[in-house]
Amino acid sequence: MGIDDVMTRPLLEQYGLEEGILTLQPGRIVEMVGDPGTGLTRLGLRLLADHSQMAPVVAIDTRGWISPEAAWETGVIPERLIVVRCPDPILWPRVAAALLEGVRALYVEVPARVRDQDIRRLAALARARRAAVAMRSMGNGLPGGVAHLRLRAIGVTWEGADRGHGRLKRRRLVMEASGKGVAGIPRIVEVEDEGTDVVRLVSDVVVDQARRAVG
Amino acid sequence: MCAWFPMWSLTRPDAPSDEPVLIVDDRVTGATPDVLAAGVSLGMPRREAEALAPFATVLTRDPGEETLRFEPVMTAVEEVVPRVEMVAPGLLFVPVAGAVRFYGGEGPLAARVVEVLGRLTGGLRGGEALVGVADGPFAARWAAATARVGEPMMVTDTLSFLSALDLSTLREAMGGEEMIDTFRWLGITTLGDLARLPRDTLANRFGAPGALAHRLASGEDRQIAPREIPADLTVSMEFEEPLESLDAVAFASRVLAERLTRGLRTVGVAPHTVTITVRSAGGASRERVWRSADPFTERGLTDRVWWQLRAWVEASGVPGGIATLSIRPDDLSGEGRQLGLLSDESSFVETERALARAQALVGPDRVLQGRAQGGRMPGERVIWLRWGEGHTPARRDPGAPWPGSTPAPSPALVPPRLEPIQVEWEGGMPSRVRIGTRWEPVLTWSGPWRLTGRWWEGEGDADRYQIVTSVGAFLCVVGSEGAYLAGVYD
Repeated sequence: MGIDDVMTRPLLEQYGLEEGILTLQPGRIVEMVGDPGTGLTRLGLRLLADHSQMAPVVAIDTRGWISPEAAWETGVIPERLIVVRCPDPILWPRVAAALLEGVRALYVEVPARVRDQDIRRLAALARARRAAVAMRSMGNGLPGGVAHLRLRAIGVTWEGADRGHGRLKRRRLVMEASGKGVAGIPRIVEVEDEGTDVVRLVSDVVVDQARRAVG
Repeated sequence: MCAWFPMWSLTRPDAPSDEPVLIVDDRVTGATPDVLAAGVSLGMPRREAEALAPFATVLTRDPGEETLRFEPVMTAVEEVVPRVEMVAPGLLFVPVAGAVRFYGGEGPLAARVVEVLGRLTGGLRGGEALVGVADGPFAARWAAATARVGEPMMVTDTLSFLSALDLSTLREAMGGEEMIDTFRWLGITTLGDLARLPRDTLANRFGAPGALAHRLASGEDRQIAPREIPADLTVSMEFEEPLESLDAVAFASRVLAERLTRGLRTVGVAPHTVTITVRSAGGASRERVWRSADPFTERGLTDRVWWQLRAWVEASGVPGGIATLSIRPDDLSGEGRQLGLLSDESSFVETERALARAQALVGPDRVLQGRAQGGRMPGERVIWLRWGEGHTPARRDPGAPWPGSTPAPSPALVPPRLEPIQVEWEGGMPSRVRIGTRWEPVLTWSGPWRLTGRWWEGEGDADRYQIVTSVGAFLCVVGSEGAYLAGVYD
């Protein structure tokens, strides 16, 4: 079965069928792992879109690079996205804790030098306050047991550009999903992003096909 | 009747008396004459004011401290007329219907208040009071704004007084910046012009805010609670150990304000006025009425209860400590309680609190909201504002065509300024890009798209490329000086 043969559905329709993969659930943490360029920032911001219908959402930005324009394109309500910039790894746990106390959904960049015990404490706080959190470590990843679901980018493909012609139109991001969110059975998922608020999830892609050449 | 101290913030004792001073929160709340002469005005955004008056000492407003200093003013006016309503430190309203008969007319009453206030605060910097009398709080507020120090403004014909006022007077009472701009665009500049329009038409075009604007312009102040409300919504707390420390008072005020808001939410109303009453351990009782043009939010109510209690406790107005605390809501209204189908109000309140705490930790320049504006490059298309500072109009129209702008999808990571990047070329085509410490082969690319610089500002021309590698795609700008990273499609 090839990628193109798999029926694709909008993300919201997948909820329930896909056991909540790619949906931020209250009190649970989704860990995102991958180099800059793989598309995880855009995906993390996209996960805030549904929550922004109900209340303000926050992105914690450690580099000062997050652009709200990408979030608006994915359906986040512009006036409900607040970006908090905090590059200081010493201050970061206090800022994140203050935000987890009251914000319903967050996309959080974790600086490289934050201690594991601080992250575990924040995870406990997120569970207690039922905050929905997508976390992306800028260092070696989150300590074990923190994330309900771990999404690791293993390949990215772009369509639309062809040696000078055209423009970037569609991205296909292949990820490995693991953790309790997928009942402990790692799965390969592929996400399609067309630059609008429609992100499609194509599941059960066999590993060999998912890892085919990129570009 | 309204008494307004426009520069009450300046009465703070730590403001240097012989230097230009600017008091701000998000906006200007007080300024000395030399700062005003530099073009600063009340209500101006903080950053704009700081730019106009860089020579001024800037102090952050402390409403709790201001309330404490305003307490003697409230007490003095209460000795003239018993029921005084506070809107904010520096702004109070007095319902004069009963007192007019006692003092023999509005004129003598206003003169008496002016005399009392002049004696109490006349010598203070920022203590100049403006007093206005008119029908209804809205008209009285603007009567005070047009009065002179020591001469109360008596409005006998409220309707004709209002009709001459500029539309911007509506802003304080109801916000609605866009609606006011639309009125101006339609050639309506005064409240009189607005009052002459049919109310039904305004309500159809602008909804409830349009109807409210028409009511205010027509001299009909807000309408209160046209539906049945459970009789007693007062909340109170008794303390076995009277509260004397400020920490305990702060906690009690927050708990009680939250309890009141929760109770009101269940019946779908919010108060325009609250009466805060405390009874001291010795049996003495104190009461204060706070008023708001908009229905009180939970945060607004908590702040006011805290300011008031702090003012009483610090001024030793509650000997022996607080034994009983109660808050009674009045002027209940269903306005402002209508939420969107999916909106969750408690989440908004909690988020605001959390953001305020984060702002205290990282500073106001790092809690930001983006607004769209026009531009060709991703970095130009977002204007960053401090969270909570209100709307600043975009300098470049985002709705304009912007031919040649970089198309969607937009890069999710945009460096604050262009970052140098190493790109290798073969026959005019990109072949390798250096990312971190390693070179990545270019798989494909789009471009070049010409970007013509503003030659009159010394900008050169450049080309844009979308470069795709096995680790992702990048937006690069290539000019005569080299290649730069303008965005990462992350």
